Amino acid sequence: MLLVTCPNCGPRNSTDLRYGGESHARPDPNTASRSEWRAYLYLRDNPAGWLRENWYCASGCRRWFSIERNTATNEFRDPPLPGDKRGGAA
Amino acid sequence: MADAPAFESPVVRNYPASRAGDLTLSDESAVTKWLVRAGAEGPTADLLDARFGTSRLTPGGALVLGSRPGEWIVVGAASEVAAAVAGLDRLEEQEFCSALDWTHGRAMFRVTGASAPRMLEKVCGIDWSDHMTPDGAVVSAPVALVTCDIARNDRDRVRSYLIFCDRSFGQYLFGALIDAGNEFGLSVAAATHSHSAD
Amino acid sequence: MTMSRQGVQPTEVIDRAVKLRFRWNGKRFSGFEGDTIASALAAAGEQIFSRSMKYHRPRGILTADYWDPNLMVQVGDDPNVRAGHRLLESGMDVRSQNVWPSLNRDIKAANRYLGRFLTAGFYYKTFMRPQWLWPTYERVLATFAPGGKVDLDTPHAYHDKRYTHPDVVVAGAGPAGIEAALAASNAGASVLLVSHEHQVGGHLRYSSDAADQAALAELRSTLGASDIEVLTDSTVTGRYEDNWLGIVQRNHPIAVERLIKARAKTLVVAPGLIERPYVFEGNDRPGVITPGAARRLINLWGVKPGERAVVFGANAEADAVVGDLERVGTEIAAVIDGRTAARISSTAGSSRAVEAVMVDGAQGPQRIEADVLVVAAGWTAPTSLLNMAGDRPVYDPAAARFFPSDPPSNVLATGGLAGDGDLDGLRRHGAATGRLAAARAAAVRHRLQASTARALPVDGDEPAWAPDERAPLGRDPHPELYRADTHGMVDMSEDISSKDLVAAAHEGYDSVELAKRYTTATMGPSQGKLETVNTVAAIAEARGETISQVGTTVWRPPYAPLTLGALAGRMFEPVRVSSIHPWHEANNVSIIQAGQWLRPDHYGDPAAEVRNVRRNVGLIDVTPLGKLDLRGPDVPKLLSLLYVNKWMKLGVGRVRYGMMCAEDGVVLDDGVTGRLGEDHYMMSTTSSGAGGVWEWVENWLQTERPDWQVHVTPVTTAYASINVAGPKSRELMSRVCEGVDLDAEAFPYMTVREATVAGVAGCFMWRIGFTGELSFELHVPAGHGLHVWEALMDSGCDLGVASFGLEAQRIMRLEKGHFIVGQDTDGLTLGPSTGMGSLIKLDKDDFAGKPELAWAADRSLPMVVAIQPDDPDVVPEEAAQIVRGDTNEILGRITSSRYSPTLNRSICLGQVEPDLAAGGTKVTVLLESGERIGATVIDHHAHFDPAGERLRG
Repeated sequence: MLLVTCPNCGPRNSTDLRYGGESHARPDPNTASRSEWRAYLYLRDNPAGWLRENWYCASGCRRWFSIERNTATNEFRDPPLPGDKRGGAA
Repeated sequence: MADAPAFESPVVRNYPASRAGDLTLSDESAVTKWLVRAGAEGPTADLLDARFGTSRLTPGGALVLGSRPGEWIVVGAASEVAAAVAGLDRLEEQEFCSALDWTHGRAMFRVTGASAPRMLEKVCGIDWSDHMTPDGAVVSAPVALVTCDIARNDRDRVRSYLIFCDRSFGQYLFGALIDAGNEFGLSVAAATHSHSAD
Repeated sequence: MTMSRQGVQPTEVIDRAVKLRFRWNGKRFSGFEGDTIASALAAAGEQIFSRSMKYHRPRGILTADYWDPNLMVQVGDDPNVRAGHRLLESGMDVRSQNVWPSLNRDIKAANRYLGRFLTAGFYYKTFMRPQWLWPTYERVLATFAPGGKVDLDTPHAYHDKRYTHPDVVVAGAGPAGIEAALAASNAGASVLLVSHEHQVGGHLRYSSDAADQAALAELRSTLGASDIEVLTDSTVTGRYEDNWLGIVQRNHPIAVERLIKARAKTLVVAPGLIERPYVFEGNDRPGVITPGAARRLINLWGVKPGERAVVFGANAEADAVVGDLERVGTEIAAVIDGRTAARISSTAGSSRAVEAVMVDGAQGPQRIEADVLVVAAGWTAPTSLLNMAGDRPVYDPAAARFFPSDPPSNVLATGGLAGDGDLDGLRRHGAATGRLAAARAAAVRHRLQASTARALPVDGDEPAWAPDERAPLGRDPHPELYRADTHGMVDMSEDISSKDLVAAAHEGYDSVELAKRYTTATMGPSQGKLETVNTVAAIAEARGETISQVGTTVWRPPYAPLTLGALAGRMFEPVRVSSIHPWHEANNVSIIQAGQWLRPDHYGDPAAEVRNVRRNVGLIDVTPLGKLDLRGPDVPKLLSLLYVNKWMKLGVGRVRYGMMCAEDGVVLDDGVTGRLGEDHYMMSTTSSGAGGVWEWVENWLQTERPDWQVHVTPVTTAYASINVAGPKSRELMSRVCEGVDLDAEAFPYMTVREATVAGVAGCFMWRIGFTGELSFELHVPAGHGLHVWEALMDSGCDLGVASFGLEAQRIMRLEKGHFIVGQDTDGLTLGPSTGMGSLIKLDKDDFAGKPELAWAADRSLPMVVAIQPDDPDVVPEEAAQIVRGDTNEILGRITSSRYSPTLNRSICLGQVEPDLAAGGTKVTVLLESGERIGATVIDHHAHFDPAGERLRG
């Protein structure tokens, strides 16, 4: 089972966290076009490689954070960023 | 109107009292518990003085757990807890902080004994070794699939852990802990804390 | 082959003073403590242990260990027990499997005369058509299925589970594994040593060599004095991401099996090597054994394998077995050296025993009389754990086996898996591996400690990742001995011959992975440990290529088969109860499980409960209703962001209903929120949505509005929640409440008040009405919930107070037409479809789902409507389709349906296409029976009291 390093709790079993998917910035709801908003809702890059993604430390500190993971090798890099989900694919 | 009624613990089922072993489990749900929230750093954090992942016994006898960044659980007798959170009112002008009485929201159990880590290994995936979870450490993790806050709080140099869970899971978790402790000769002990008036 | 117990052997593991009696196919037998089932039977002269899976050929001992495919037996109600490994216990009832009617007279053995029809894919090809006959085929085939019998009445056994976090796990307890464990431990690592066998020592256990025995004694005593945790009769079954290991412990004192989930900082893989059988005609005839089987029988259990032996081999094992056989008086008829051109070609004899071996040697073809043939054809490297770590082992033809190539640096191989050497060489390599494992584990430990808030602080920088400076082990040359010039069994578990594999290759299944699945070779209980490389060799031969070119299958978990019980472990099924639960249990409750909650469904007669609420007063325990305590100056902004309606002007003491939509505009949750104080609010959510809404709120606060000052605390079970409903509820409440004016003017509908109830301070209650009656939803500090409930019950006897359950509440809310999120809405139901579109305030600057809801405002959407069947006695099923006339065109569905005891008719909610939503529309409902009934959409959601006069009372 993957170890995911929470910025607060340190490395924890991935089952202690909830996967939040790719990081996506929320468009301005008052100006977003339908295609922009729906890209935010539904479209994911899903690269085989480095990806900034969100995790929620559900069983630990209950904090959302984002982290970069290589989806092909499961390596992590960069210190995870508390609360941030605006990274987009790296 | 009658006097304030007695506190009802979530653990209502009776269990066989005693087995031959060093491990004891007690239901401490009646203890007063407060939840304090503020910035992870700031006057409240300074006052409570237990950083995330650690705990501290106040001179007044309350135990302060740094349960999350910017979040503390304060437990003890009502008067002890009141003393520990007494200064918070004055801090409200300096930073956004809040405190609420969580006594009724959380069950609390204590497991004590040299084999307590071996018992916890059966229900929880946390590393209980001394270097990862020393005396005073505080961690949140699933115990028998129920998310709990756990504090290592040794008694007379014997391993001891406080386990907090949502009150509604209390009966289930108490049973799961008894099952896990069975092979170590667990016995159910009387509570060391009693409920003092709200 | 006549086996028999011999005199005491210096290395034996049996205690001849302790005799164990057991039954084998109903007959009485005895063995000694320390015997396996198979060794005890062999000592008693038994030769046939099972019948093969497809052809029902008699099978005897092959390897006499865990991997022996021929020793699967039933023990009591426990099927597929490995008699070559399971220790004998007194009173065991052991039976052979896969035989009918008996081991010695087996009717299905006729299959073997059909052998040429039962080629690879036979079942696939034969029983495909016609499809309607499959149920018949299945019944017949099931009686032929191999394996033991499962007794459905078997009591549940205690299977255990445990987590552990050692620095180093060593998988395999031969000399290299033990040395690795000792060296790692000496370097300060916490070590878990896992031995697949009952004793540590690996191949030294059954060596009669004095130096080997001295080394074994020394290793065991050093190990005994260490603080290494040693698990025997246990297997590391899987290696997963970041050295997450599954270990099955089969000899736990209080559990049938224990599944250990270990997070190792480094893993040392030291399983040794497994002797590979040789493929030739008659290689599955009882009497053909591996040298390891012979040496285990002799040296561990004092059993003589036969009277006259031929030994064929190409390595030191063959040499060693000759000495052991001679010592117990087995005559050596011939030793055929596979390092020369000499080969064996077949065995001769009855189906039950070898009588002679056909040899192709320097003197030409020759028949040698013998009752036992020992074949040392080489080894299989069980690289499974390395495969699971991502390594792709490489074949070395000169050594005739696979070697590790490039495993991740926290997985280290040692022992025979890594190479060859004398005992000292293997031990040195093991020790060096243990030191390396400990050094790397120390670096991992440093990193874990440094990054974990609660851990002891660590000094200094993280140690450098230790370089691998181990002197590599050598590789002994070994001839590639896979198949003689005859065909024979490749997979004895599955009855797959080399001929089957050649045929499969010619049919086009010529990649190993395909041939494996097509023929099922390597998929039996030995999990490829004996047969994988022979399978690869057969395919390579058929393709005219080398083993390197063909490559091998990727070994996946588990390393050894394990039971479903072991995987399940102890089941954790958390359930939640309210503090009033003991009262329900004492009062004839019928419980329904809703999510994790155990809730009162009813107390005998839900219709009576409804009538009592409408007439008198009822109490329902609604503790699971989600409650979030919200504090801070920015709570109104948060509420405005999460709910579709407006919240900036909610006064203290007021309560408002709100609907939440997700960012796609779909209804997420609903409930009321009350303002208890200046900066203090209480949000209620649906019972099932409580956890999800909490995370939703945290997500917005942490990631989108981190500057807002709001603290959110789940207090769902900090309060016991009791809805007091009915025309007499105010009267009842007045008898228990202090400090609050309950008068309709002072405490109107949709307001919240704090109160002391039955002596309990700190309660709050709001006037809302899911049931449509005058009602007070009371929230009591949970530690006094039972007390308050009982006080209400005691105080209201003369008012006719009675409890009601979820079912009565469901009926009453349906009478009132209140939808339930997730029941009357689904994953596509947009906010306006609920009929509450007027709540959605698009003039707010921002709120969750705003763009989609704005775009939805221009569209016609399916609507939630109230529907009444024309025949008041017909209650449609929930999920019944609403269709167009006599067609099957779906126009909607019934989402909630009950018989109303108040209206004495059936009532429904449903979702319909927009053009059917107007009141008075006639619709057709297709029932499950196929009958179509007429129904009418009514004007408003409420079937009862649409003006809401009762609840405002």
